Amino acid sequence: MKRLLTFALVAGVAVTACKDNPTAAPIDAPTVDALKNLTKTTLEQLAVGVTAQDRSAFASTGAIVLPEILARDIYRIDASESRYVTETLSGQADPGSFAGGSGFSPFYTGARAANQALIALRTPPANTFTTTQLAAARGFFRTMKAIEFYRVLELRDSIGIPLETDDPYTLTPVYCKPYVLNYIAAQLDSANADLIAAGADSMPFRLPSSWVSHGRNYRKSANMIRFNRGWKGKVDFYRAMLNRNSPDQALLNTAVTELTAALGAAEGAVPSSQFPVGVYYEFAASELLNVLADAKIAANNNFVDSVRFVQKDTVTPAPWDSSDTRYSKIVARSDSATGGLTGNNLTALFTISTATATTANQTNPIPLLKDEELVLLRAQANAELTGGLLKAYLDANSVHRAYSPNDLPAFTTVAIARRYILREKRLSLLLEGPQRLVDLRAYGYLNAAHLVPEFVPPKGTDPFNSVFPLPRGELNARGLTTNPACSAS
Amino acid sequence: MRKYRVLALALLAGALFSSEAHAQQRRITGRVTATGSGEALANTAVSVVGTTIGTYTADDGSFQLLAPSGDVSLLARRVGFKRTTIAVPAGQEQVSISLERDVLQLEEQVVTGTATTVSSVNAANAVAVVSGEQLNRVPAQTIDNALQGKVAGATITQNNGAPGGGTQIQLRGVSSINASTDPLYVIDGIIVDNSQIANGLTAITQSARQNNPSSQDQRVNRAADLNPNDIESIQILKGPSASSIYGSRGTNGVVVITTKRGRAGKTTFDVAQRFGTAAISNKLDLRCLNTLGDYLDYTGSAGISDTTKRRKALQADTSFFNTYNSGTCHDFQQELYGENPFNYQTVASIRGATQQGTNFFISGLAQHDGGLVRNDFYNKQSLRANLGQQFGSRVNVRVNSELIHSLTQRGVSGNDNTGINPYTTMSLTPSFIELRRRPDGTFPKNPINSVGNNNPFQVAEVVKTPEQVWRLLGSGVGTLSILAQERQTLDLTLSGGVDAYNDNSRIISPASAYVEQVNALPGTIVNGQANVLSATLNGALNHRYTTRLFSATTSTGFRQDRRQNDVLAITGRGVFPGVTNVAASTQVSQVEGQDLVKALSLFAQEEFLTLSERLLLTAGVNSERTSNNGDPHKFYAYPKFSASYRLPWLPPVTDEMKLRVAYGRAGNQPTAGKYTFLTNLIQNGLSGYRASTIVGSPNIRPETASETEGGFDWTLLDGRARVSVTQFKKQVDNLLLQASIAPSTGFSSQWINGGQLSTHGTEIELGATPVQWGHFQWISNTTYASNKTRVTRLPVAPFIPVSGSFGSRFGNAFVQQGQLLTVLQAVNGCTALNSSGTCPAANRILKFMGNAAPDFQMGFSNDLSYGPFRLASLVDWRKGGLGANLTNNYFDGGMLADTAVGNARLREFSKGHAVYVEKTGFVKIREVTLGYDLPAGMTSTMFRGLVSSARLDLSGRNLYTWTRYSGLDPEVSNFGNQALGRFQDVTPYPPSRQFYVTINTTF
Repeated sequence: MKRLLTFALVAGVAVTACKDNPTAAPIDAPTVDALKNLTKTTLEQLAVGVTAQDRSAFASTGAIVLPEILARDIYRIDASESRYVTETLSGQADPGSFAGGSGFSPFYTGARAANQALIALRTPPANTFTTTQLAAARGFFRTMKAIEFYRVLELRDSIGIPLETDDPYTLTPVYCKPYVLNYIAAQLDSANADLIAAGADSMPFRLPSSWVSHGRNYRKSANMIRFNRGWKGKVDFYRAMLNRNSPDQALLNTAVTELTAALGAAEGAVPSSQFPVGVYYEFAASELLNVLADAKIAANNNFVDSVRFVQKDTVTPAPWDSSDTRYSKIVARSDSATGGLTGNNLTALFTISTATATTANQTNPIPLLKDEELVLLRAQANAELTGGLLKAYLDANSVHRAYSPNDLPAFTTVAIARRYILREKRLSLLLEGPQRLVDLRAYGYLNAAHLVPEFVPPKGTDPFNSVFPLPRGELNARGLTTNPACSAS
Repeated sequence: MRKYRVLALALLAGALFSSEAHAQQRRITGRVTATGSGEALANTAVSVVGTTIGTYTADDGSFQLLAPSGDVSLLARRVGFKRTTIAVPAGQEQVSISLERDVLQLEEQVVTGTATTVSSVNAANAVAVVSGEQLNRVPAQTIDNALQGKVAGATITQNNGAPGGGTQIQLRGVSSINASTDPLYVIDGIIVDNSQIANGLTAITQSARQNNPSSQDQRVNRAADLNPNDIESIQILKGPSASSIYGSRGTNGVVVITTKRGRAGKTTFDVAQRFGTAAISNKLDLRCLNTLGDYLDYTGSAGISDTTKRRKALQADTSFFNTYNSGTCHDFQQELYGENPFNYQTVASIRGATQQGTNFFISGLAQHDGGLVRNDFYNKQSLRANLGQQFGSRVNVRVNSELIHSLTQRGVSGNDNTGINPYTTMSLTPSFIELRRRPDGTFPKNPINSVGNNNPFQVAEVVKTPEQVWRLLGSGVGTLSILAQERQTLDLTLSGGVDAYNDNSRIISPASAYVEQVNALPGTIVNGQANVLSATLNGALNHRYTTRLFSATTSTGFRQDRRQNDVLAITGRGVFPGVTNVAASTQVSQVEGQDLVKALSLFAQEEFLTLSERLLLTAGVNSERTSNNGDPHKFYAYPKFSASYRLPWLPPVTDEMKLRVAYGRAGNQPTAGKYTFLTNLIQNGLSGYRASTIVGSPNIRPETASETEGGFDWTLLDGRARVSVTQFKKQVDNLLLQASIAPSTGFSSQWINGGQLSTHGTEIELGATPVQWGHFQWISNTTYASNKTRVTRLPVAPFIPVSGSFGSRFGNAFVQQGQLLTVLQAVNGCTALNSSGTCPAANRILKFMGNAAPDFQMGFSNDLSYGPFRLASLVDWRKGGLGANLTNNYFDGGMLADTAVGNARLREFSKGHAVYVEKTGFVKIREVTLGYDLPAGMTSTMFRGLVSSARLDLSGRNLYTWTRYSGLDPEVSNFGNQALGRFQDVTPYPPSRQFYVTINTTF
């Protein structure tokens, strides 16, 4: 009996042990495995995840503040962090340091987010989405993926950038700028084809309200197509300018066509009320605050006259149009009466109204892409097209007249057109992204021949940095210590 | 895995099917008494050597047993007495046994398995044993407080001096970087939770610049809930060589707690009533600013070179002084931290047994410890019932349960970025300003804007930080004696239990607080709810086979444990005055964390005692799987082997010499790394997800720690001295690490197993009775421990641990191959100063400043008694170690009494010198007790014959500290809860001395 009892107990214990279920599902957060079974809710969360990631990546020091310093629109003077100057205006960016590492990883994280959604969409669950809904979703995610790579390229340009594969452990070569622009263009075209296939269907998910509330509902495929075409026009313009001495006329024409599709109106016919229309990123204390509300950001003292290229081009500088209401963005610093903000061998007496450290600025939206930029991009493209100066003028002047009662002088040469269009872009897009850095580079103006050096000996030497290096982490993973030669294919 | 199962079944089969006829028996009766006093010793184990025959003595010390015919030897053992073996010739039927008191604790039963113990006389590991009496000699708020200085090899640090705990234990150095570094707590065989749950203080301090609870919330580890007065003894299994039986939770050692049980004999009713108080034990030497000249010197306005600017600044400063000068130089520290609270502990217990085989221990506790700040406190109540019942001769059942309630208000301390911390406010508020409560009950608004106009006296009154815990510990143990023969026994033990608690922490910072009024949404509420459940189920079969030549104990069984927690914190901002409902806030955010872990282990162990109980050989293996592993189905083996040998030929004056060596392997469950999670992002109120930037690994496995320890235990001079020396080497492999991957993949790192830590250490325990003369006795115990942990292999680039620090200018932990794991790295040097004489960031030179952990620690315990008087003391010496004293940085620049020192330090700091890295060694009088046993006559008179004995104790804790450290306390740490970098001193709650008067009565 004793042995029987013992056996029974032992058997009971053994059964208990063997039947123990050793697995515990992750209950704290979903894992990537959840993407294997897409639902409408999951897809919406992925879409919001991509836009939210892009917001945090773009509305950042790395993607706006640092390139705007390189573009000489602003300074950031900080006694406790001199690298805002030493790694931009007075020295080289250290790939292992904050400036050299900026504006890189977060965009790849965004691209990964979009990529994972696209992978999940390859095998959608049955009876959950219609074919057109799936096409619309693919069009959205692929457009976002292209934007992420474009953002990285804006900051690395001639150094080239890696792309991303489905496999997180596989590294691509560091591709040269032309290859990357072609890749991005192809992604945008592919996305456009999907969006067209979606027909009248909307995105099968909600988008954050800032994609809806700024004049156009981008949840609708037709409007997402406009967003996509806007980006494509932007990309094609800079593809055309790869050889700035002889811009690619066909690509310029394509860019004009795409931008017109995005704007829905011909040159000079876009009403000023449409200029602010676009996609914006909004901010809230409960989510993310606008990093540009920063007391240490100052306007470049040479803001008014630093664009010396007009003189170098032996064109008499046009007088500033004092009636232009956009000048009011440049405001005296609150400390200007006591000498302004000094440090890092710089002194600043002015700042930009959207950069003052106010509660309102902390929630000030930043446009991701607005029609005003597209109008000016079309002006840029037309200005480079043979016989396109008048159309360029019409667009550029329409923007100018939105802020001033005065017309711009006529565009009689390409050089004059560039000068005024760049001025319009600078005023319209000030502290809204790296557009000025990209333009100065595209036109070959980011050098002492066109700009006043910020540092002269003995305070330093202005290296006229135009790009940031690949971050140390990327180099380490590739077994490199310096930026590699980029791969053309 | 299969081979272990086969082994277990073979052992079991051997046990079941071997049998031995009972030899012819005879009855032996006798009595056990204490040497000297002749006091009858109940509950003494008396056994026949070489057999499994044994019994326990009755209340009057008497016993009887059936022994084999012929000559036998009887072994008598009792806790607190030295074991004795006497020969009983064949014809003798009556024996008297006398046991000597074991003042040096030469013999204890130490844990070797789930249901097995071995006498410390034979133990192969240096297991520290702390008795309940040693633990409670001086009242302590929590168990870990009470252990300070008493365990060789335990480094015990404290977040700060706020009431209610916040103390962490590390055993034998640091054993992990990213996984747990806390020891496992086991109470009566049940694993209990020792989590540290953040209370959300950062919502008002912005220490972590976030809404979510953070590691800087001065967290309390929940072992603080336990009632020290219920503890019979604590055994500390310091490393894997002893703790491998706890598998993947044994790497950091195990604190095995046994609570008191009922015992045969007269039922006793004990009451201990303690009254006490506390006082701030150290203050910063701050500057008295009570003249205009002093103030102008402090602001520096008199030194401005530009005439216009100087005149303007002087006017402003003079106006400020005249407006706010209260005419008094306020000692803010004394005014705020000057409370001498009335503390009390009431401990009552009933202990006994019935004739029907029921034994019981029922206890209750009511405790109040006030803080140094008005309204801060720690209240705890507990009720425990331990019941045991013997059913016949074969079944024994025990049920233990405890209900605990604690309510703590720890105030505001530690790092902050809003100015709400009192020390932050003091560092910028001139002492001529009056901040105390006005007669009408209002508080002056601090005119200093840079601290958010904070008034710490107002905060102490209106900001509430209550944390309430309800906790239930319940366990049951059943033992079935399957076989009980002269040569062998087979017992089945099944035990199970739960540890469940709810921790409700709240932060209520009303809009009326001045520091809230600078916020866009004044008024902050945090409502934190943590529900934690830990359940354990054990089963063990123990077979003991005894002959005259050897005794073999075979055990096999399983343990299942399950942990589940859900921690929710809701933060509300913009709260109407008086409202404490977080839902009524203008803006609400919340964060929740959940976790579920399952584990199953199967074990088998063989203990072989032979050569007249001189040689003990042990081999065992614990095989375990957990849901945290990448493959939750895979079992990982944790073997152990040990040997101890008591030398038969001894040098002069030697009573006993034991050599011992033990090897064991234990694990540390991967707390992360299995999954690639999706990260939640919110945009325009919509919830979104994207993949985390950290890639999980499906192959993640436990960290593995292997430890070899060896040493000797030497007893000499007729048991009046004892020396125990242990050396150990611990190696931790398969560390849980984050390896960087190319950011262009969209990820930043991936979890991997790799790398290696190596720890060497020495532990020495000396015990002696230097004087034992008549009624005068002096017992002295000294502990010494040193250990160093080095990173011997690191497959990833050197890194600063994820855990918190304030940057390399002040000092941070740094993990690098070849370096000490506990190294402190800091900026200390500059390649070139800039034109203003400061060191630019790019020119700073990073250096390893030394070991943040102590070189060694020693504890000196002395216990002198003379008749009814007793004087006991414990002195704690920590040699070496470094800390980053950021508190000084707050006050440097003019607020310290010695402004020259502060200013010079600040100048050197700007030049890139690590001026805030300080040595943290100290000598501390940890405990002192003066006791007096009241004479029986007096007791009888005072308590009208109801009380059989009474004792009066005067005691104190943390009475005095000698240290060169310039901060408040070298032991405190802003990040006490993290594995590395526990050396940050940031404006903590100041430490206190505690004093108690205790009346212990037995009815």
